[in-house]
Amino acid sequence: MRVKVISRSNDEFTRERSQDLQRVFRNFDPNLRPLGKAVEYVRALNAAKLDKIFARPFIGAMDGHLDAISCMAKNPNYLKGIFSGSMDGDIRLWDIASKRTVCQFPGHQGAVRGLTASTDGRILVSCGTDCTVRLWTVPIPTLEEFYSPGKSSEPLAIYTRQNAFRAVDHQWDGEQFATGGAQVDLWNHNRSQPIKSFEWGTDTILSVKFNPGEPNILATSASDRSITIYDLRLSSPVKKVILMTKTNAIAWNPMEPMNLTAANEDTNCYSFDYRKLGEAKNVHKDHVSAVMDIDYSPTGREFVTGSYDRTVRIFPYNGGHSREIYHTKRMQRVFCVKFSCDAGYVISGSDDTNLRVWKAKASEQLGVVLPREKRKHEYDESLKNRYKHIPEVKRIVRHRHLPKLIFKAGRLRREMIEAAKKKDERRKAHSAPGKVVTKPLRLRRTVKEIE
Amino acid sequence: MVVKKPKDWNSQKPENTRRFIASGKDGRKKPSGPRLPNTMKKVLDRLNTRSPVDSDGEENEVKIDTEENSESVGNDIYEYEEEVAQEELGKNRRFDSVENLNYELPDDFEDEDIPSDDEDTDDDGDKDDQAKTGFNAESEEDLGRHARMLQGITGMPIEAFEGRKKSKGNMVSVTRPESEFNPSHNVLDGDNQITIQDLLDPLQGKAGYNQLRKRMHHLEKKSVPIQAPLSKPEKEKVERKVAYAISKKEIRKWEPLVKRNREAPTLYFDEDRDLKYSTVGAIASRFEPRTEFEKKMHSLVSDKKVLEAHANDGTRLLELNMISVEDEKERRDRIAKIRNLLSRHEIKQKHIKKIKSKTYHRLLKKDRLKALSAQMEMDPEAANEQARKQEFKRAEERLTLKHKNNSKWAKRILKRGLDAQDEGTRAAISEQLQQHETLTRKINSMKDASSSDDSSDGDDEDSADSEQDAALKLIEDAREKTVKVLEVDDAIPSSGVFSLPFMVRGLKKRREAAIEEAKLALEDYEKLSKQMDDSQEAGNNSIGVSSGRMTFGVVKPQTENNKREQRFHDDSDTGDDIDVKEDGDNGRQYKENIQIGIRNDSILFDEDSHAHKDSIFKSFDSTHEDPDDKATYEVSIFASDSWMKMKDGKKNVNEELSSQKNKVVKSSSHNNHLKELIEESDTESEGQMVDGILSAGPTRPYELPSQAELVRQAFAGDDVEEDFEKDKKEILNEENPEPEKPVFLPGWGEWVDVQKKKGLPSWMLKEHNDAKKKREEALKKRKDACLKHVIISEKVDKKAEKLFTKVLPFPFTSEEAFEQSMRVPLGPEFHPATAINDLIRPEVVKKPGINIKPIKFEEVNPHAKDEDQQDSKQKMTDNKRKRRGGGKVVNKKAK
Repeated sequence: MRVKVISRSNDEFTRERSQDLQRVFRNFDPNLRPLGKAVEYVRALNAAKLDKIFARPFIGAMDGHLDAISCMAKNPNYLKGIFSGSMDGDIRLWDIASKRTVCQFPGHQGAVRGLTASTDGRILVSCGTDCTVRLWTVPIPTLEEFYSPGKSSEPLAIYTRQNAFRAVDHQWDGEQFATGGAQVDLWNHNRSQPIKSFEWGTDTILSVKFNPGEPNILATSASDRSITIYDLRLSSPVKKVILMTKTNAIAWNPMEPMNLTAANEDTNCYSFDYRKLGEAKNVHKDHVSAVMDIDYSPTGREFVTGSYDRTVRIFPYNGGHSREIYHTKRMQRVFCVKFSCDAGYVISGSDDTNLRVWKAKASEQLGVVLPREKRKHEYDESLKNRYKHIPEVKRIVRHRHLPKLIFKAGRLRREMIEAAKKKDERRKAHSAPGKVVTKPLRLRRTVKEIE
Repeated sequence: MVVKKPKDWNSQKPENTRRFIASGKDGRKKPSGPRLPNTMKKVLDRLNTRSPVDSDGEENEVKIDTEENSESVGNDIYEYEEEVAQEELGKNRRFDSVENLNYELPDDFEDEDIPSDDEDTDDDGDKDDQAKTGFNAESEEDLGRHARMLQGITGMPIEAFEGRKKSKGNMVSVTRPESEFNPSHNVLDGDNQITIQDLLDPLQGKAGYNQLRKRMHHLEKKSVPIQAPLSKPEKEKVERKVAYAISKKEIRKWEPLVKRNREAPTLYFDEDRDLKYSTVGAIASRFEPRTEFEKKMHSLVSDKKVLEAHANDGTRLLELNMISVEDEKERRDRIAKIRNLLSRHEIKQKHIKKIKSKTYHRLLKKDRLKALSAQMEMDPEAANEQARKQEFKRAEERLTLKHKNNSKWAKRILKRGLDAQDEGTRAAISEQLQQHETLTRKINSMKDASSSDDSSDGDDEDSADSEQDAALKLIEDAREKTVKVLEVDDAIPSSGVFSLPFMVRGLKKRREAAIEEAKLALEDYEKLSKQMDDSQEAGNNSIGVSSGRMTFGVVKPQTENNKREQRFHDDSDTGDDIDVKEDGDNGRQYKENIQIGIRNDSILFDEDSHAHKDSIFKSFDSTHEDPDDKATYEVSIFASDSWMKMKDGKKNVNEELSSQKNKVVKSSSHNNHLKELIEESDTESEGQMVDGILSAGPTRPYELPSQAELVRQAFAGDDVEEDFEKDKKEILNEENPEPEKPVFLPGWGEWVDVQKKKGLPSWMLKEHNDAKKKREEALKKRKDACLKHVIISEKVDKKAEKLFTKVLPFPFTSEEAFEQSMRVPLGPEFHPATAINDLIRPEVVKKPGINIKPIKFEEVNPHAKDEDQQDSKQKMTDNKRKRRGGGKVVNKKAK
């Protein structure tokens, strides 16, 4: 006869340290826990609510500029540093952690319109409406840096041209950078003249962006409402798409070299596939005024936009609506936004001369997170993700407080779109079948594709 | 003269043949239709006829042409001969005669030399040359033919031969050797261009020449005309198109990589970070002093001499550390003095502590108290403080009862007995009690002020007395009340049911009984109070008294019962109606007595102090609590029975008597039972009692009805099925409401007779019918449509609705898939720790503070998916290892 007895070895219950947790032995038979789903639903609900409670995205503002901030550049090699240029020609290097100016770069006579730093973070390139391109050496961050603020630096080189510059961008892992103004110029660090100029049409270039994954591909947007792509290997422009409205900024997805997103004047952002430029792959809509700047998260899974409607929004790369909106009473028109290099923060520069630092995930816990805490956060996150379609959870997760103006403007926009849609439907209903064809928005907004 | 043969010449070199456009210009009517081409004709000509020679080659040719035409009109088989038109024949003169119908060139007309596009310019040049050199036409013609022949043989261009011929004319001295780099004079002259032949010539005889020549030949044969260059914008457009195609193709290389990343459940961006200063030493080496103190320290530490001394064997450190003798002495003295003072103080304290004299301590205490009181007088702050302290002490005492002999020591002494202790101990104990008293006195005084009752809050020793007093008081109260009841004269009601004579009689009897009972009770009270007094006199404040009371409570009903039993026996002897009634009364009385007794007992229990908890007492208590209730109940039944019997009167005396006997038996048993209860609270006796009741039952004849009958009787009133149907109908109507009947608004159309006759308009009826049909269909579709005995509510549950999505969420294509995705819970209660990490891993894993670089190209095998899945775990660990190793892993992800 076999006799079953409860036996517990001492080792299993002995803790190494007094701080260790007691081991808990569980029976994972699902029949023993028939209410698992209900329990998890409630937990998901609580997680969503907790998320709301802990949502404190604003970290701090960095003030010091005397005029609106027109452009920013992140230091790809140094997480804490960010450059900003203002409309009065002032360029500053900020230390984000201490929210202080580390160094200033005086020299520009007019507004600074473009800023970029080389990949190693040693050289800063700026350009502006005073028709100059300036190269600067970036001070190497050291421990002493914090105790010597207000340092200023001399430009490494100044190149003057005939026309004002509107944008500049540096190639990833290369020595070239491109400026945009009357035409697209390609420069090398060591040459005083552009090594190559591209001109296709006569309109002003508004923004220039190198593809970080494929460093020889370059995209520009111009005031003729076009987006143009250049290939430096073939040293020629490649393709031009004309949209219905002007594109203010472009960003390439750093993890998907074929995809780029354009921040458009018509409040929407359009994601394009380089291989099929005729149609937008995705339309990201939520802003109520022109989108001024866009920047991809280094993870390539989301991007941040700054808009003329005084808000900053974060969109998923494949989603039609934003997952987050940031605003404060004091923040004015946002002219430039950047995602930090570790994908944890968002920095916005606005008309009110301030740079603002936000968390990319509003309820994220800063500082050291213990493993158990981390696991809890992960569990909560996955629960929320699982139950995100259930109405109650969805409502809580989606809810955001909006400034009255923006809320009303959004409602108005929705009404207008709805009315147009209705009208279209009626028109369709009252005409011969197949005569009135409505194109989806992503097709409708592109006017022409030029070879 | 049909000659076909010599065609081959011209067919071989068509580019050298000449075509003439002048043929149409000579104004003569040209024969149209199929004919030999001019060139062929020319050849034919050349072979057959000798035409007159003209200086002008072209004119000559034309002539040839015309001659040829005129000659060969009649006999050329290839010539189509057109007949002369009717009007020209002049057979019927319908038209005016015209001298010259066609335009004819005048005789002196000279043809202009207009070079045609087709004509080779070098040919022209040739001719000019010929004209200049003034060769006669004959020889020219000959030479030309010769050249053509040569060309035919060698396959070389005609110019080559002609040039050689021409070079005879003007000699030029050539200083350098002729080669492709130094072209000969005639080549440079302008009339000849450098041909490939020229370039090939000097190579003749060298290795590979043949091959080259063959290739050139081939090229010449298959040459394609080159198009004119495009305009610049066009050109750029084409370039861009090509560039886009190439660039697009190039970017396709990323597709597998991007696809892999997109499909991956998790992307990892957490490579190991490079913490620059990892050791304490490294960080310390970069330390720089900032504050004054730090600087001072630094200057001392980084003194050159010290550093040097450290670097050497350290003997010099001692030298550096030298202190003067005076300094050292002074320091020693100072320390000694302080130590001395300290030790003195210590000794003094010890001495004081050691003094055993109580008087000394008392004096000391007094002094202290005096000082304190003085201080209290001096400033109100200290007084307040003191008061608060005192209050605190009191509160503490109240809470802890520290001085009420609760300590271990006190308990031990009490256990041994106070008398056994010596004087000092007794005094100590009494002192403690005294202290307790003093500490609690203030509260008492406060209570005095609030309540006038003195006896209730006396000392501990008085409490027993006071309790007895209270009992006495209670008894007094009860007596007073009973007296009151006796005194009060019940007014006999003059109207209503109670005014009926027999009712009046009944009431009277009851009243009498009550009075008797009250008297009895009064006697009891008196007895009680006497006993109480006795006990008071005895002065026993504890157990003895309590037991006395106890027995009293029990003894009394016993005596009663005895009495009653006696009476019962008497009754049965006499067998009188009245006695029976009396008996009934007795029963009631008995019951009430018991009740009163119990009440008294309970009062007494309440009054008793806590020392009275004996086992007997407890048992009584329990009987008092529940079974006693039952007992009284039973008794009351018994009493009411007797009451009923009394009402019945003399109807069936015999029966009554028999039943009475039963009851007497029962009651006696009941009495026994009560005794038992009081003594030991037995449960079995209860059963006996029940039996007693049941034994009364079987006197009436009774048959059990069948089950069906029982059911029918039980549910006689209600038809369940009909009810259910009604319910179902109601629910159906509620969930699918019946459409309203179509009606006009009152007053509308009623005055029109016609309309009334017509009835409702058809559209209304139709609408109504439609609604009805819809409802019927909805009812048919219900799940409980075919189930007769079931109602399945299809009402939407609002609370449950919260848990469902209204539409299927986007990425899912079927409900099952969606539900499947939520089926397995994720939590740590449902999975072991090893499995849970995989379940809750986020989509993007990144570490704060690590720069994420853009994607880098790596080869991905798009078909290696299955393998990946198979050894996913293996791979993940591999990745982790790699990352830990600090290799350059960019955005690796596990699959």
